[in-house]
Amino acid sequence: MYSDKDLKDEIIKIFFEVFQNMNEVDFSWEKEQKEYENWDSFSQLNLITLTEAKFNITLSLDESIEIKSANELCECVKIHLT
Amino acid sequence: MNIIDYLEKNSKEFPEKNAIIFEDDKISYNELYHRVQNFSLPVIKKQEVISLIAENSISFITTYLGIIRIGKIVHVAAPNILENDLLNQLKSANSSLIICSEKVFNNISKYSKIKTPILKFSELKTVANIEKGTRKENKISHLIYTSGTTAEPKGVGITHQMIEFTTKNIIDVLKYSSSDVNILPLPLNHSFGLGCFHVSITVGSTVILHKDASNLQNLLKSIINNNATTIAAIPATLTKFLKLEGVNLDSYFLNIRLVITNSTAIPKNTIQSFREILKKGNLATYYGLTEASRSTFMIFQEDLSRDNSVGKSAPEVNIKIENNHNSIGEILVKGKNVISSYWNNEMLDVNFIDGWLRTGDLGYLDKNGFLFLKGRKDDMINVGGEKIIPFEIEVIVKQLSGIEDVAAFGIENEIFGQVIKLHVVKSIESDIDKSKILIHCMKNLEKFKIPSKIDFVESIPKTSYGKVKRFMLK
Repeated sequence: MYSDKDLKDEIIKIFFEVFQNMNEVDFSWEKEQKEYENWDSFSQLNLITLTEAKFNITLSLDESIEIKSANELCECVKIHLT
Repeated sequence: MNIIDYLEKNSKEFPEKNAIIFEDDKISYNELYHRVQNFSLPVIKKQEVISLIAENSISFITTYLGIIRIGKIVHVAAPNILENDLLNQLKSANSSLIICSEKVFNNISKYSKIKTPILKFSELKTVANIEKGTRKENKISHLIYTSGTTAEPKGVGITHQMIEFTTKNIIDVLKYSSSDVNILPLPLNHSFGLGCFHVSITVGSTVILHKDASNLQNLLKSIINNNATTIAAIPATLTKFLKLEGVNLDSYFLNIRLVITNSTAIPKNTIQSFREILKKGNLATYYGLTEASRSTFMIFQEDLSRDNSVGKSAPEVNIKIENNHNSIGEILVKGKNVISSYWNNEMLDVNFIDGWLRTGDLGYLDKNGFLFLKGRKDDMINVGGEKIIPFEIEVIVKQLSGIEDVAAFGIENEIFGQVIKLHVVKSIESDIDKSKILIHCMKNLEKFKIPSKIDFVESIPKTSYGKVKRFMLK
């Protein structure tokens, strides 16, 4: 099981793996997809893929499409882990 | 001159010399020529194509040459061929007779769908109504169905002219001569093995034929006992040699002047190790298809900076990359080594444009004319309009320790059309997980090349020549 802090740490790591050139100051939980310079459909796919691999979960197509921020990804993972 | 002419010539020039040594059996040039001359077949109406299905043996060779000598076409097939594949090939080839070994007979005689008459080697001389083998010439020598890496087998009729052209190129580039003693553990039903055999008969050297390459110690003993000068082997066999414990390969390969392998990706370490092992010799490879045999040659000792290349065009063979300059595209080949059409299949004529054969292979030529292979056109993955060659991903994943083997391929996806899936074989002690592989890919590949699914599997399905059978991956 993941504590809330561990879960958030893992999500942050996922974001930094997918957005390789992102600085720490550029990350925020509320920041939305449209505010990211290069959060396109491929990045979305990679975010979901790495999240599924790290937490050993499978997100549905609808869930995958709806995630628009780190916060939403975190909430989605929480649902799958509980 | 065709292969029978060369056999006749060498039976006069080297009558007592061993043409073939196989296990405890051997046959001189003189005896081989006389056995081929006396080869006879039962009379069957309209016989044009005879199927030969057997493991490597002297009987295979005498039957192969015997059928060619009397002007029939030999359809060669793998001894472990499955019933439906054999049925399709016999139908396409319009074969009138199967000649096979005892072992193959035990298998295929159980195939209820096969109605073609079957004869064992041992029955060839005992059947009634034998046609005395007078010499005739057929434009086509033999017929091979490519099973390779695609699902649909294609019949390839090899002409005597193609054999003579290709054999001459092999001899000239790789400097074969009558003094060579050639270790041959490759199946004779395949273009690689058969090509090596043609070379030996043409120059009048000796073939040390092996059933297969499974017993490496036996191959090493064979090199020493026969004072061998060349060995032909697939890259996997060469790599396995390097993994033999307590064996000093240098001493076994001391007098080997040539190790010839084929164009399946050769691990860099294998090339480098064999460069060091072969004190007096060369490691060489080639690129070719059954349809366009030996289109390039690469001698690794002659170029230390292009270990990933399959070399330059063979003499009088042209290679170009379609619609692409200085970038990856489909490889096209033109030359006397190339077939002009497939056997009884006009649908496949789309593969020929003005004498150029579309190989279906992807690659590029560097500014010095060296060819680099990058995979199969059919294997290309299209993720949301971005085209990806599986090899690009596989080579990156293989950089990780704990990865024994990997295959990338496309799977259907509702949004992108296709996404990339990996089948990964972990080494026994490896604890690598999916996220580590993904993170490594994200660091080293563009974002549309990142796999979306990863399965750990026991093995990757491959042809006997080590090529991934991608059509079997799901």
